[in-house]
Amino acid sequence: MSSKFQFELVALVIFAVVIAFGVPAVMNYDGFELNTFARYLALAIVSMALALSWGVTGLLNLGQAATFGMGSYAMAMHLKLRASSGLPDFMSWNNVSELPLFWVPFNSLAFTLLAGLLIPAFIGGLIGIFMFRARIAGVFVAIITLAFLVAFQLLVINQQGLTGGQNGLTGLAQMTLFGWAFDPYSMGFYYLVAGCVTVALAIGVYLTHSKFGLVLRAIREDADRTRFFGYNVANYKTLVFCISAALAGWAGMLYTLVLEFASPTYMGVSFSLAIVIWCAVGGRESVIAAAFGAIVVNMLEGRLSDIFVEGWHLILGVIFVLVVMFMPRGIFGLLVEGAQKLRTVGRARPGHAVEPLSTTPLETNQER
Amino acid sequence: MDRLQVTDLHVEFGGVRAVDGLSFSVREGEILCLLGPNGAGKSTTLDLICGKTQPTGGSIHLDGVEISHMLEFRRARRGVGRKFQVPSVYKDLTVDENLSIARSKRPGIWSALTRFALTDSRETEQILDLVDLGAKRSELAGNLSHGETQWLEIAMLIAQDSKLILMDEPTAGMTIQETERTAEIFRSLSANHSLIVVEHDMSFVRSVADRIIVMNRGAMLAEGSIEEIEANEDVKTAYLGH
Repeated sequence: MSSKFQFELVALVIFAVVIAFGVPAVMNYDGFELNTFARYLALAIVSMALALSWGVTGLLNLGQAATFGMGSYAMAMHLKLRASSGLPDFMSWNNVSELPLFWVPFNSLAFTLLAGLLIPAFIGGLIGIFMFRARIAGVFVAIITLAFLVAFQLLVINQQGLTGGQNGLTGLAQMTLFGWAFDPYSMGFYYLVAGCVTVALAIGVYLTHSKFGLVLRAIREDADRTRFFGYNVANYKTLVFCISAALAGWAGMLYTLVLEFASPTYMGVSFSLAIVIWCAVGGRESVIAAAFGAIVVNMLEGRLSDIFVEGWHLILGVIFVLVVMFMPRGIFGLLVEGAQKLRTVGRARPGHAVEPLSTTPLETNQER
Repeated sequence: MDRLQVTDLHVEFGGVRAVDGLSFSVREGEILCLLGPNGAGKSTTLDLICGKTQPTGGSIHLDGVEISHMLEFRRARRGVGRKFQVPSVYKDLTVDENLSIARSKRPGIWSALTRFALTDSRETEQILDLVDLGAKRSELAGNLSHGETQWLEIAMLIAQDSKLILMDEPTAGMTIQETERTAEIFRSLSANHSLIVVEHDMSFVRSVADRIIVMNRGAMLAEGSIEEIEANEDVKTAYLGH
């Protein structure tokens, strides 16, 4: 087990303990505050999903919000059906007289949960296959995924009778599982979201430290070289796109549960770019750092957008520019560099024993 | 049986025939050196064999199987390994991780998903000791010196354990001692691998080559042992001009 892996496992445990015990205590177990924080946690999952494709594999997916929206709408469709007797209200307003066929299976919760993961994964995989088989890479991945996002959002908005259009899906029921209704302002619901984030992060940490993750990092550095070692680069890229999309779908489902509605703005360009910013601020190389970035930026937004209602997006933009210019590896990068400096300072002082975590460049140079 | 059989190979880049009717074969356990002036088509020949470039004519057989139009990763799985002219290690990965990537006997996704990135293996240790990088296992490859980078790449090829290894100028930038070490390693590799080596350093070629092919303008000019090549009049003309 490498030291980096141990480090991330420790970080994951700390993260889990803090969100399970620390955050509720600080917020005085207040339902409203916890609901707000649960929203950040749901967004942390989608940011962490982007870290897998962007940070680890080097595929900048600007369409992450599309798969997030699919999960969100899947859940909202189920809850809308539960809330309405017969036809959902917006359909009758739009002269739709019969429940559309693709709505019917969303009566089942099991189907909804599966669909919220698998439909985004399928769509992500489909786009991935076409792009990566044709060896499209770099900035073109960003352009194609962005184009898909815009087209998909337009489709959802224009099909008002089927999707609720610009209004989205509102007036939703609460989800009930085994007779327990999910009140988004309850402690139990907060723990559900916190558990989901922890599991998603554990999956992400495992993936980045498996051989799969190593091959992904090799692909990010030099995809051609990796092919000459016998790896089917297109398949690896496609799979990471699928996984990332499924995680985004998962986050979308939780987001609908937290906010109790689904809106086409979830599939907007600005939302998609915001995910990129969270990921960059936290540090795109590590899934935990990316999740942390999402929470930090959203907490900031929660505080600052009250004060700077108009200027908030400007502030966010400035933050992004500063991060790109001065800390391209995000908060995570600062921590890594800080740890390295501390270690060299510790070693320079005689008699001050520092436990070597790993062989740093300096250490081996001194040995030589 | 011949490990590699190249028959009447052609490739054109915008009207220029980079390789023009080249035929040769490599036996098991043989080191074949490709010589020739700049632009003779040596590196292009390696590109064609490993799949970086698609031929416009002719065929390539590995162990009797036609591979001329296979994708490069399928050729790699069948046993073609390649070292490029420019050292291409993964600079952001550690030495250990580089070797883990190179050790690709099971390149499929499923096996990659069910294993950790670094598994302590005696094999890795042995290979690293062979190239004297044992002390730098956790070092980022980007922090290695030029010579060490070359060694790492050779270590990666040993770890990949391909049946046929294609080497493009493996000793470029090495000291005389390092070149001698490389020659030693190559000779031990040839026990159970076939090698095609493009090289300009004649003393290196002398010490490793079982057979030499001299190329000029994409075609074969001469073939034979080192003595035969050095005595060949055509070769002298091609190198020195008229």
